[in-house]
Amino acid sequence: MKALVAAALVVFGLPALALSAQEAKPLEPGREALAIPYEKYTLPNGLEVILSVDRKLPVVSVNVWYHVGAYHEQPGRTGFAHLFEHMMFQGSRNVADDVHIPMLEQLGATDINGTTSFDRTNYFETVPTHHLETALWLESDRMGFLLDALTPEKLATQREVVKNERRQGTETAPYGLAREAAWHALFPLPHPYHGAVIGSMKDLDAATPEDVKSFFLQWYAPSNATLAVVGDFDVAKTKALIEKYFGSLPSHPKPTRPEVASVKLSKPVVIRQEERVATLPLLSIQWLTPGYFQEGDATADVLATALGTGKASRLYRRLVLDKQLAQSVNVTQQSEGAQSVFTLDVVARPGVSTDALLKEVDAVLEDIRRNGITSEEIQRARTRYDTRTLAGLQSIGGFGGKADVLQNYNHFVGEPSYVAQDLARYETVTPESVKLFARDTLRPDARVILHAVPPARKQAPVEPKERH
Amino acid sequence: MRRLITALVTVSLAGCASQQKPATPEPQDTSAPQAPKPATPADAEAFRATPPPPGKPPELVLPTFQKATLDNGLTVLVSTRRELPLVFAGLTFAAGSAQDPVGKNGLADLTYRMLLEGAGTRDTVALDNAFADLGVSPFQEVTPDGAQVGVRVLTRNVDAALALLADVTLRPTFAPKAFERRKKQQLADLVRRLGQPTALGQIVFLSSVFGNTHPYGHPSQGMPDSVQALTLEDVQGFYKKHAGPAAAALVLTGDITLDEAVAFAKQHFGAWKAPASLPPAPPAPPTPARQTVYVVPKPGLDQTVMMLGRPGIAAGNPDEYSLDLATTVFGGFFGSRLNMNLREAKGYSYGAGASMDPRLGVGPLTAYASVRADATGPALTEAMGEVSGLKSRPITEKELAAAREGLIRSFPGAFESVEGLGSSASQLYRKRRPLDEFNRTVEGLRTATAADVQRVAEKYLDPATLQIILVGDPLLIQEQVSGLNLGKLMAVEPDTQPGSASAHP
Repeated sequence: MKALVAAALVVFGLPALALSAQEAKPLEPGREALAIPYEKYTLPNGLEVILSVDRKLPVVSVNVWYHVGAYHEQPGRTGFAHLFEHMMFQGSRNVADDVHIPMLEQLGATDINGTTSFDRTNYFETVPTHHLETALWLESDRMGFLLDALTPEKLATQREVVKNERRQGTETAPYGLAREAAWHALFPLPHPYHGAVIGSMKDLDAATPEDVKSFFLQWYAPSNATLAVVGDFDVAKTKALIEKYFGSLPSHPKPTRPEVASVKLSKPVVIRQEERVATLPLLSIQWLTPGYFQEGDATADVLATALGTGKASRLYRRLVLDKQLAQSVNVTQQSEGAQSVFTLDVVARPGVSTDALLKEVDAVLEDIRRNGITSEEIQRARTRYDTRTLAGLQSIGGFGGKADVLQNYNHFVGEPSYVAQDLARYETVTPESVKLFARDTLRPDARVILHAVPPARKQAPVEPKERH
Repeated sequence: MRRLITALVTVSLAGCASQQKPATPEPQDTSAPQAPKPATPADAEAFRATPPPPGKPPELVLPTFQKATLDNGLTVLVSTRRELPLVFAGLTFAAGSAQDPVGKNGLADLTYRMLLEGAGTRDTVALDNAFADLGVSPFQEVTPDGAQVGVRVLTRNVDAALALLADVTLRPTFAPKAFERRKKQQLADLVRRLGQPTALGQIVFLSSVFGNTHPYGHPSQGMPDSVQALTLEDVQGFYKKHAGPAAAALVLTGDITLDEAVAFAKQHFGAWKAPASLPPAPPAPPTPARQTVYVVPKPGLDQTVMMLGRPGIAAGNPDEYSLDLATTVFGGFFGSRLNMNLREAKGYSYGAGASMDPRLGVGPLTAYASVRADATGPALTEAMGEVSGLKSRPITEKELAAAREGLIRSFPGAFESVEGLGSSASQLYRKRRPLDEFNRTVEGLRTATAADVQRVAEKYLDPATLQIILVGDPLLIQEQVSGLNLGKLMAVEPDTQPGSASAHP
């Protein structure tokens, strides 16, 4: 089903915000397998290159991150960074229209995709080793010469494709429109996270070829990108190929990241929305929390795990097992560059009100605000993260594979091999710090509370919507 | 389409330079489009005009699987992969939702879900905490051809994980209270599923392609009325009848050898005794000509879910590799005829695709797209046009070569993870395929002839035999589809069938 996920939008992708460079740290005994040997250098035009050899299989992953995402969109152009990502698959000076993915597919490439998140956009493919040069040719041509092949017709078609993506993920997805309403309350305009990456139909309609041009010229320079090559390849030959294909691409100084005032909730925002797709009521509570890698981010991860991961987690146990009021719970700290969002979702059993669920959830949270969680719960979360992190290194490319791991740390802290420090963050989480986080950040008076409730069964037929 | 295919530059083709835009704006570039000029300082970028030639192809690396059988009949399947200290450990059961008794659809699913609701001395919560101590939540799946419960753990946790999986498999508690709760949860989950347009489409797809009474004709989760009727005795009876060492496999992949695996298997599963035997493969369903277009009404839905399909083939059918290639050209790749038309040329959809699903018995052949509601008629016309186009515009040599090379060369990249290897081993067991199945597949893809591929394309993707299911706005569908002469429109509402109300107090 490769076709259905190609050029997917990753709304909950990993953030990318360059902070000061950090030192790599040796891994503790027992965690050596988490080390990723790599080499990093910068071409004169500013393109960062990360090379990491892994000879497990005769495949190699090419993965390019551009330090630009929804965060960099202009007012009135929500969804543009992602629409632009689609245009990157539509041909460039030397690559014919619509050839990029088909060409890679016929070579036996896997994990071919592009994703846009709030803070960065990435493009990747895993190819059999003998086609590495083809992948570098494709990536360099769109990095250097995209605009030569831009036409209004191609933009018009991809606009339709993206609007269908939005219909699939928002209008016709369970709770899609309700979640969007809650997100808007968390990030009111003009915050650039407002559009939730996919953007609005109105803004997508407004995008012009001129917008594509200026976005490319401003953000898609080699100086604002990092190329990672991970897998089975010859280092010296590959360096020469990278020089050949990327070395002469024109560039300009690395663009500066726009300053955006952070947002804050000063009172609870309650949204009651009639749900037209899903059949069970959803209670979703969201808080604004510290950005990725900031103080409190790791604590939030641990609390989210203790609250909602597994049948023995606090909310599942109380709401699904003991009281049987809920069908499922899902709790996440969505770590993003500017600000993160802590989301607590509970889907009700048929006939149970979301107000009843809210009372139960508040009782669980109040207990944690008073008593914290146990050391045992924290330890289980840590073991889970260790296992998951190691498993993420099995694939050289694709979503969350080795190349993404190196790129993510590189973008965020300027150090590709940051696994040890990342995991060390969880060693500092204590029952007390979880308690303080629940008390000071997950406040009852600074949150968005969404009640997405379907109308009574046997609803009257809805009039067909106005079409555009 | 023609334009797109010629543009599929086969890497060594010099003539392709004529398809490319000039490398630099200088006029002399266009004067000699056939032969790339030698690089001069003036056009140092000219090398970009043609795609680079490929290097020397590496040897194709395919996963290897090993097998042992314990004295009690338990199959042990192993694939060793030493790079990281990770192991996938899973129990595969041969019986799945195809073994649901008539009137008890959803029984296999509920039975296997009960395994994680208490086992050995642990209740639901204690069992979950025991897995959490190993850093995991167990993975579980129930399919028509079998089920699997498994975990991916650090190597040092394999023994403890197998002890838990042995409890789950050999000593499930099936406690009455846990059963009542789990059943309610399954019923509520059906209410949730029946709100999803794609799930509704799948339910109608299965019954229209296989028929209501065929073992593959219902969703694994069952329907509200069938699940409502299930009892704890049903669950215990199903497990007793279908779960046993002669109808199960222990799958261990990753940082483990066959010897280590056999030792673990004997230690944890050697004492397993139960009379279950392998269930028979479901019979092949008939493939009647389409009379009807099924419509699941969802007034006001912004997209129409469009599903086309019919019975395909069983695993091991001699047509399997040819059909894989034909399906790939038609709708398997992003660059397939179907997706390039509906998505890239027309912008009707975010993605359209097609796939075959060879099962132990004859599995479905499916084409799928969610399309903009007001383009339902044109999108369906285009999709059906691509189906009949397989005959009127036969699969070209280039299309076939691209699909063949693409499928074969993608094999190594598809086996990177231990859980992926575990899933492949589990499938081999469930479909009763030999251990060298992937080598056979590569050989089959390599040797399938153009004539074979064209023959199976026309045989299986025959437009007259494809069932059509549409989930979307009924008025709009009526308006746009009734004039297409594809069959009589018939409304079906699986979400309001008798019994579904019982899940709504």
